[in-house]
Amino acid sequence: MVSKRMITWRPLWSAFFAAAVLTAGLQSASGQTYEGRELVKASLVADVNAIVPGKPFTAGILLRMVPKWHTYWKFPGDAGLPTEIKWSLPPGWKVGEIQWPIPLHLSEPGDIQIYGYHDEVLLLQEITPPASLPESTAKLSAEASWLVCEKICIPGDSTLQLELPVAAQNAPANEELFARYRRSLPQNWPDSKVASASWRRSGSELQLSIESVALANYPYAEFFPLPHGKVVVGHPKTDRVGDGKVAFRVPIETDDPKLASLDGVVVFGQDDHSPDRNAWTLRREGVASISTAPPASTSSSLAKFLLFGFLGGFILNLMPCVLPVISLKIFGFVQQAGQSRRRILRSGLAFIAGIFAWFVGLALLLILLKSLGREITWAFQFTNPYFVLFMSAVVLVFALNLFGVFEVSLPQRASSGLLDLTAGEGDAGSFFQGVFATVLATPCTAPFLAPALGFAFTQSGWMILLMFLAIAAGMSSPYLLLSAQPAWLRLLPRPGPWMLRVKQLMGFLLLATLLFLLAVLGAQRGVEAIIWTSCFLLALSVACWMKGAFLIPTSSTRSYFVVLVLVVVLVLGSGFYFIGEKFRATKLTVGSSQRHDDWIPFTPERLQVELQQGRAVFIDFTAAWCLTCKFNEATVLESAAVRDAFKRRGVVKIKADWTNADPAITKILKQFGRPGVPMYVLYPAGRNAEPILFPELLTQGMILEKLETISPQVAAH
Amino acid sequence: MKTNLLITALTSLAATALFAAEPTVGNAAPDFSLPDATGKTHSLADFRGKFVVLEWFNEGCPFVKKHYGSGNMQKLQQEYSGKDVVWLTINSSAPGEQGHLTPETAPKTISDLKMTSTKLLLDPDGKVGRLYGAKNTPHMFVINKEGKLIYQGAIDSKPTANASDIASSSNYVKVALDESMAGKPVSNASTKPYGCSVKYK
Repeated sequence: MVSKRMITWRPLWSAFFAAAVLTAGLQSASGQTYEGRELVKASLVADVNAIVPGKPFTAGILLRMVPKWHTYWKFPGDAGLPTEIKWSLPPGWKVGEIQWPIPLHLSEPGDIQIYGYHDEVLLLQEITPPASLPESTAKLSAEASWLVCEKICIPGDSTLQLELPVAAQNAPANEELFARYRRSLPQNWPDSKVASASWRRSGSELQLSIESVALANYPYAEFFPLPHGKVVVGHPKTDRVGDGKVAFRVPIETDDPKLASLDGVVVFGQDDHSPDRNAWTLRREGVASISTAPPASTSSSLAKFLLFGFLGGFILNLMPCVLPVISLKIFGFVQQAGQSRRRILRSGLAFIAGIFAWFVGLALLLILLKSLGREITWAFQFTNPYFVLFMSAVVLVFALNLFGVFEVSLPQRASSGLLDLTAGEGDAGSFFQGVFATVLATPCTAPFLAPALGFAFTQSGWMILLMFLAIAAGMSSPYLLLSAQPAWLRLLPRPGPWMLRVKQLMGFLLLATLLFLLAVLGAQRGVEAIIWTSCFLLALSVACWMKGAFLIPTSSTRSYFVVLVLVVVLVLGSGFYFIGEKFRATKLTVGSSQRHDDWIPFTPERLQVELQQGRAVFIDFTAAWCLTCKFNEATVLESAAVRDAFKRRGVVKIKADWTNADPAITKILKQFGRPGVPMYVLYPAGRNAEPILFPELLTQGMILEKLETISPQVAAH
Repeated sequence: MKTNLLITALTSLAATALFAAEPTVGNAAPDFSLPDATGKTHSLADFRGKFVVLEWFNEGCPFVKKHYGSGNMQKLQQEYSGKDVVWLTINSSAPGEQGHLTPETAPKTISDLKMTSTKLLLDPDGKVGRLYGAKNTPHMFVINKEGKLIYQGAIDSKPTANASDIASSSNYVKVALDESMAGKPVSNASTKPYGCSVKYK
């Protein structure tokens, strides 16, 4: 994974040797000896010959190492320790941070990469004396400790003294030394016209892109990281992008999905060890962060995402997969139009309670799974064929109930469940209707919902719960309004015999939903799965008919019992045979079932190859059970205009089919902070270009517009 | 029933394979075989079913001396050996490099330092060190009973060569083992190891 780039270290110590002879102004010096050799000579120096009260000056710890030995930078790299300086200053004195000269990047066998200094280094610190100094001389003391290594490492330390007269005026001292090391300090980040930096998080890698002609002109450029806190980084790599761009990739080894940028210095020059190398300091805060990574949990972003959740929940009502059930609820309202206000409100609240119950249940399950360290995603239940099968059965039974094949006449209201619609009463019925509507809603990701959930899934359990409550509130808001304001119900037609017809019509809508579910099963498990599921559903239909025809209050106890046994045997028997045996034997179909088209099935390797060749790539993250995806594909991606534009611009089209929850695809979704499909990503041509993320609901205009911006030269081949 | 199915689905989602050359925390620890000082070969697979600690060792390194000179490392080795943890001390110093051990010199090191690890394994060509991406001495790895890497990084929270810092530091290996034994996830599963570089050739 890590390419080994060995730096052959040419001893530069001779170049520095003249400086090492410099002794003027050195107030104190002491050394570290090992086996008779002085490995490090440390001294404390100042850039002034006297201290003026209140006037800052610079002090420096000068470390001189014997040839081939090195001490370490602020971030030592894979091994070693940074040099530490502890000042003992009289009260009222202030000391600034250590200013570290640009280090060398050194390599040791075993791909051990370190940052350090050979021969000599001066660590600078600004010292501010108090405004009044009664003494005639000032005594400053610092304890320096370091680790010095060649092949072996030896810690050393030294207490250094600096004694300077106090005076009204002072003159510079050690000018050459300080000037030389000030030149080798990293500079502040230049004006954005000279260089602009942007970070992007891509999985376990942070990518830093710098647009700067000045930087790109140097043959050598590297990023030296300064990881903060507990962040662990791997070895940064430099990519030459061309066109005045340089990009760096930094592997992040800590599990820290929110990490979006790093401190560090961008070092550049003629080669990796020339003394005239230059560097720019990059601070985490100072960089415009392009957030494909989920933003931090501030209260304002929290409010924004909760609002997104609410809006997304509201829009869920209009998504294609939930419409059949919602139409039933509207039907319920029609039925209630003539009823008492209290009754309507109660039934409406029960429906809303059903919506909330499902979302809270789902949130708790997700929190539980997350706490167990599992990956969590939206609509994950639809990736399980058994869940889809279960839903198919429920939808069919519901449809048969609406057709009037059987009535629900169980004594206890609560157990009548979602079938208790015909009675026209029953809060439990409304409750389960709410649950049912919501269950069917989850394969749809409405606009706003994806960023909101993507955000929530990276947060604590409480946040996930809060987010699902916001979605539930959004989804139930229209019913709450209708229930609380029954006056608006008057706009709906009066109840009458027509209602029976509408009910039957709704049954057909449910059958249409069933067709969709069967299509999903087909995509997951092939044609055989549809056949065996249909067989089971047929048996289930017969059982429903038997219930409607014979299991009625007027039948004798004996025949009632016999038919009941028959019904149970029929349902269980067909269940065991068609599902337990036949359906289970069907194989998982991997990848897209729509192979007739020009989309390439997604694999991480394939994507890597296409990107490395610098080609523009569009990825459609989809699933057979995702109706939003199907809608986008039919109206936008497969439209003549978009197809033609893709072709003209030489865009590689990749389809990532998440029907069976392919973990490689889950990983990519996570990288973009998305909880599920649909997701649409366009990688512009040219290596390391920023990928463009599209909203969940596509328009042709959106795609065509973005395609305009991608490099046209790729279209040439 | 439904819940069970959902969990099954989620478990398969979680089984995300990572593509990395070096082992990463949460993934299977790669198997290896190394000889001890007596020439007997031991494999990681031999210890499946037990917690295994890997400790990269170079007796000349001041950071290793910090933990052996103070008795801190031996104490840890003893404490966790008592809890059925297999502690493998691995020496990847190449011949001619600092801390290189041979079957002849290793027994003296073990007795001089009063080492109480389960085995001291010799890896003079650095094969296993490179396999694990061991960068430092001491560089610590903890593997759980299922053979999964659950911790990699420093021995404790204070990256110094000063033994007086041990008392005030948090021992990451101890925390990882204790948490994992209590069935909890490891809170700090990957840290930056500190110490000397491993003396590979």
